[in-house]
Amino acid sequence: MATDTMAESDLDISQLVDKPWVTIVWDDPVNLMSYVTYVFIKLFGFTPEKANALMMQVHNEGRAAVSTGSREEMERDVQRLHEHGLWATLQRDDKI
Amino acid sequence: MSEFLRNGNLFSLDLSIDEAHILINLVEQLLELLGEGDFNHHYDESDPFAQLMSQLKAAPDEITVPEDSVLLRLLPNAYADPEAAADFRRYTEPTLRGQKQRTLKQVRAALEIIVDEDRAGVVEDLDSEIWLMAINDLRLALSVRLEINPDSFDIFEALSDNDPQKAIYAVYFWLGWLQTSLLNLLTGG
Repeated sequence: MATDTMAESDLDISQLVDKPWVTIVWDDPVNLMSYVTYVFIKLFGFTPEKANALMMQVHNEGRAAVSTGSREEMERDVQRLHEHGLWATLQRDDKI
Repeated sequence: MSEFLRNGNLFSLDLSIDEAHILINLVEQLLELLGEGDFNHHYDESDPFAQLMSQLKAAPDEITVPEDSVLLRLLPNAYADPEAAADFRRYTEPTLRGQKQRTLKQVRAALEIIVDEDRAGVVEDLDSEIWLMAINDLRLALSVRLEINPDSFDIFEALSDNDPQKAIYAVYFWLGWLQTSLLNLLTGG
């Protein structure tokens, strides 16, 4: 029906305009590597392998993107990371 | 040196009286820095740790980026952009601050039993997630005051035993060791 078509069309446009947001975790010299891995598993449900790989990326490259989604979802993720003492920010995902 | 113990799903921590005093002093100072000073603290002003956190100023009327570097580390900006960071902070900082206060108060309540009896004791059936977060916040707070960097352990080892900084470094590294013992129990490592 026409209204459905209109809705889908609107959705496509909004996805082009509203780039996804991304949560970045930054390296710091204090948080223990085992703690960072533990928090990633606890908050995001990652496998230990994925959590460890992201932790190593933070450690070696200074930062890693740990989640993507809407701005509201990323704000919630950043807040939970701050509760656990990780240094996190959110930003638009410019790669897409 | 004390460490966390696990029996099934029950966690405990065996503390000497000195360790219990050090922990409760740090917890109380951090609570006060976070604006929650509604208790009679256990440390006195001659305590070498008493001035660690105390850069207290009257809390600003509105929620702004903290001037104190420990508070800024515990309540960091969520955006690189200052305006977006300020907006987000206005809405969310009370929640984050309250969560950290509740966590520290729960740890303080458990420690108070030991400290008030003035002898070594065991914190039984403790909430491992609460203690993990509280110890982490204490480490973060001390790290700001000590300006911790990757060379800090070498700096600590080179300090003379008479240096007042040495005891504070020792507590910082002890907390890391304590946190590791709890993480090992939680992950089966």
